[in-house]
Amino acid sequence: MTVQEIMERAGTRETSLAIAWMKDAYHLVQSSIKENVKTQKSNIIDGIRDYPLPADLISIKSISIKDTSDSKYKIIRRMTHAPIVAEDTDPE
Amino acid sequence: MSYDTNKNWFYEISGRDIHLWQLVETAATDTIGAHRVKLPAEYYSKQLIYPDEDITNGLRVEYTALSEPFVDEAWESLTSTISGTGIAFVDGGGSSDTITDTGSGFVTAGFAAGDKIRVIGSASNDGDYVLTAAIAGTLTVATGSFTAETASESITIYQIPDEDTSPDETNHVNLNRLLSLAVVDYIKAQLAELEGQIDLKQYYMREFWKKVGDNESNKRKISMSFPISTFAVK
Repeated sequence: MTVQEIMERAGTRETSLAIAWMKDAYHLVQSSIKENVKTQKSNIIDGIRDYPLPADLISIKSISIKDTSDSKYKIIRRMTHAPIVAEDTDPE
Repeated sequence: MSYDTNKNWFYEISGRDIHLWQLVETAATDTIGAHRVKLPAEYYSKQLIYPDEDITNGLRVEYTALSEPFVDEAWESLTSTISGTGIAFVDGGGSSDTITDTGSGFVTAGFAAGDKIRVIGSASNDGDYVLTAAIAGTLTVATGSFTAETASESITIYQIPDEDTSPDETNHVNLNRLLSLAVVDYIKAQLAELEGQIDLKQYYMREFWKKVGDNESNKRKISMSFPISTFAVK
């Protein structure tokens, strides 16, 4: 549906304001349903714990780690809370 | 080598980072001569450690992504799609890269120059591309787009709308028709709020969420059956 048709149906002629509201509505829709699902892969580096979330992320669907014994990605579980770290020198 | 990663790896979210942990049964060790020994003061137990190996493309995040709200064409008008095992990718070097189809079905499928396409199922060329030319057996894209790949995988190519960052009245909202109707309700709600009609705003917001919910339930087909009692009166 075009921007013009939406404006006509809603009864407004203010294009800029209508487009701003359409963007708001679009983001509301996107945050509540899984319309645009993507995957991002990144390298795991020995000794590195922190990996950035995708910049365009709205909500996480799953996080997987590659099992190199059979080259399959397997979904891992989320910890319910951060571990209490007693010693954190080089835990390898 | 990583194994049973679904059992041995865990994550937590901290700010905008994923923290990865590996569960291992180990203790602090040291190497004496040719022998690896457990230090006397340490005990053997389950521990969480940082990832202890390099894995290329080892972390995969599947997520709902933010995309451009406006596109050049309505989703309903995008019908070009082709699938098959005869699709190959040619790295043109300094020239344009191409996709070839042994069935020569690209034009019949509806592809044309200027279309934006999405490739899925290939070994190394999944992604979005813009066509610079389209003939029956060949789709052409910009130089440097593809890694050479012979036909073998089952590959699907379909058209997707081209996103527009500077929308005007001729653009389409990047949503299907039902969700576009929900957007109409959202704008009516905002207009009602501007006029101070809060009840009317709430009415339209309910309509908005109802259509969003309807759109989701349209994707699910659930049938329910109930036994009829022997003594049911009809």
